[in-house]
Amino acid sequence: MKQFMQIVYMLFFISLLLQKGYPQTMADWQTSDPFSQAKFVPDIAAIVDVTYVQRSLDDVTHYEIPGFKDAHSKPSNHENHEDELNQNNGFNLNYVEISLYSQVDPFFDMFAVLHASTEGAEIEEAYFTTQQLPFGFKIKGGKFLSSIGRLNDKHAHDWDFADLPLVYKAFFGSQLNEIGIQLNWIVPLPFYMLIGAEALRGENETSFGTNGFTVENITTIDDANKPNVYTAFVKSSFDIGNYTVLAGVSGIYGTSRIDHGIGNDTNVAGDHGFYGKTYMAIGDITIRYDFNSYQYIYLQTEYIYRNQDGDLYSYDGSINSKSNFDAKQSGLYTQVVARLNQLWRIGLRYDLLAQNDVSTNHDLTNNLPRYSSMIEYNPSEFSRFRLQYNYDKSLYSESGTNKPNHEIIVQANITIGAHGAHSF
Amino acid sequence: MLTTTHNWEWHCTIKFMMYKGDTMKYKNFSKIQLILIHTLVLLHLFLINTAAWAKKPVIVTTYQYIASITEQITGNSATVIALAPPQFDPHYIVPKPSYIAKLRKADLLIINGAQLEIGWLPQLIRQANNPAIITGTKGFLDLSNFVKKIDVPTAISRAMGDVHPEGNPHFYLDPHNIPVLAKAIYERLCTIVPKNYNLYSKNYTTFIEKFNAKLTVWDTQMTKVKGKSAIEYHKNYDYLLIRYSIHLAGTIEPVPGIPPTSKHIAKLEKTIYTVSFILQNVYHPYDAVQYLSQKYSIPVIVLPHDVGATSDSNDIFSLFDSIVGRITQ
Repeated sequence: MKQFMQIVYMLFFISLLLQKGYPQTMADWQTSDPFSQAKFVPDIAAIVDVTYVQRSLDDVTHYEIPGFKDAHSKPSNHENHEDELNQNNGFNLNYVEISLYSQVDPFFDMFAVLHASTEGAEIEEAYFTTQQLPFGFKIKGGKFLSSIGRLNDKHAHDWDFADLPLVYKAFFGSQLNEIGIQLNWIVPLPFYMLIGAEALRGENETSFGTNGFTVENITTIDDANKPNVYTAFVKSSFDIGNYTVLAGVSGIYGTSRIDHGIGNDTNVAGDHGFYGKTYMAIGDITIRYDFNSYQYIYLQTEYIYRNQDGDLYSYDGSINSKSNFDAKQSGLYTQVVARLNQLWRIGLRYDLLAQNDVSTNHDLTNNLPRYSSMIEYNPSEFSRFRLQYNYDKSLYSESGTNKPNHEIIVQANITIGAHGAHSF
Repeated sequence: MLTTTHNWEWHCTIKFMMYKGDTMKYKNFSKIQLILIHTLVLLHLFLINTAAWAKKPVIVTTYQYIASITEQITGNSATVIALAPPQFDPHYIVPKPSYIAKLRKADLLIINGAQLEIGWLPQLIRQANNPAIITGTKGFLDLSNFVKKIDVPTAISRAMGDVHPEGNPHFYLDPHNIPVLAKAIYERLCTIVPKNYNLYSKNYTTFIEKFNAKLTVWDTQMTKVKGKSAIEYHKNYDYLLIRYSIHLAGTIEPVPGIPPTSKHIAKLEKTIYTVSFILQNVYHPYDAVQYLSQKYSIPVIVLPHDVGATSDSNDIFSLFDSIVGRITQ
């Protein structure tokens, strides 16, 4: 009863305040708020990505891509915090992307992209770029998707398929997304040429990694000096009539500290770790033909090569051992995407992990393909529905048998708010 | 610190004074060194100035019609580059990387504005790494600021399609807006390249006289279609229709940017008996318009929406010659 009376008193006082009508009195004196910053609100957008997945293998994370990706059942010191897209059979809320963009002052602008899922939120990108550097230079600093390759700096909603090509999954887990700094230069030529270089923290767990680990009875590997990864890239483009050609070459160098269980206090057989140097090279080309404003076709292909050279530490169930490790691996994807009219797009993609030369294991399969096709319905630029079919022959069970995976993905990708135009 | 005197003898011993601790040290140059220094300084000045003199200012425009007006004012004194190919939908220009190379060397960027370029230009400007043409600087000219726009929505939602919050951006298709835009371009050109002020003034005056004379001709011709009723595919020609008192009975698109639905076409057919002609731009599909035209035997008039969109619209004059000619034929 006492509490009830308190609430009644509170409501009474609130009603008194309201009756006083402070806002109305204010309006008599002043018609605008002199301290309003409403006009300075950055461009804000939210993008929701939902998929329905049906695949023939129950849990794809239990399978490995031999030489490239371990099955998730193996213990790892590097928990992959990023939710894999389209992970579960049935419905998936892949992400809610919140993007913010604004000019900071006359000298800088800033982007921030947050990825929220039901598990939590993470910073996908947060960086500033310079606006006033002379002679065509620009500096980008913060956490960003590296500009190497063709697809690496594209956000998920800008991809032409519901998932990444196999080469990206095999070499980067997803994409090379790091904290660091980039310098790029538009070369003063009659055609487009961009030269850039980056110094990155290099925490990517699939190819690099900065955390040291101890291999009992053998050695202790210290944490990496940061920046741990350096990249350089050249991109060029020219037009011939309605054809546009864009080609690029990128190189990446860094040290790798990959601990797949070997650094644990108690080891189980199969635990391993790698410490060494990693060199990567990427070549990409896109050829696009525009029939008119609403119909185009383009071919995009990207080849990624990786050489890892160093020491492999492994535990065979009784003892840790160290061996020289030299792996030369590569793969590519080729995709053709056509826009039929304002509403419909179709696409085909061929993935191949083509080279798998690993000094410690000569039995690895060289050809691991995947075939994808998609059809897309775009009611407007802000809504997209996609049906995709994948036939994936890259997955193997732990006993070493190839497990073909049929996968159907139905995707809805919806954008609201102020979202900037995409680049080519 | 470099000091010189007018006395030749002294001149030969230009003193290069350096502070080193508390004492000042002098360095005497030999005659040869002096000649070398002077030559270098002169050469340097010469290079800087000739580079500035020899280089024509580069003016990049988003659409062809802006380039055409600009060329009327600059003559051959500037390099004028238009980005968007005229056969394409001005809302959906492919942001080709080659445009970045063009924007990188621009001294002035002139855009239509009112969000017509929002789907393709902002990212290109950011990628061009050119501080001269950033939004809000002297080298960035938004023409939409100089004309009164129609259809400015009071409330806005994407349910209305590709609606432009600042109003209909196709204002340049009213020929009476062209002198206003030309004045804005002329004034900005004078700010960017002040040494060409006389040339620009002369060309601008000539252009305005010539264009005003044409305006009277077009106005007279257009009285022929006054009061008639038309359908257009997209709201491209609203400014033109309002200027010449032509009634707009409807658009083929249900809302801007969304392709026609059979339901919407059926609705349009209810008002079609009043319609004298259907206006079609060059870039939208022709099927819906052809269907209506054949069913109700209403003529379809294909109009250029930009300089170069049709073979008979080569510059800002022939653009309106073509539009007026095609409507009044």
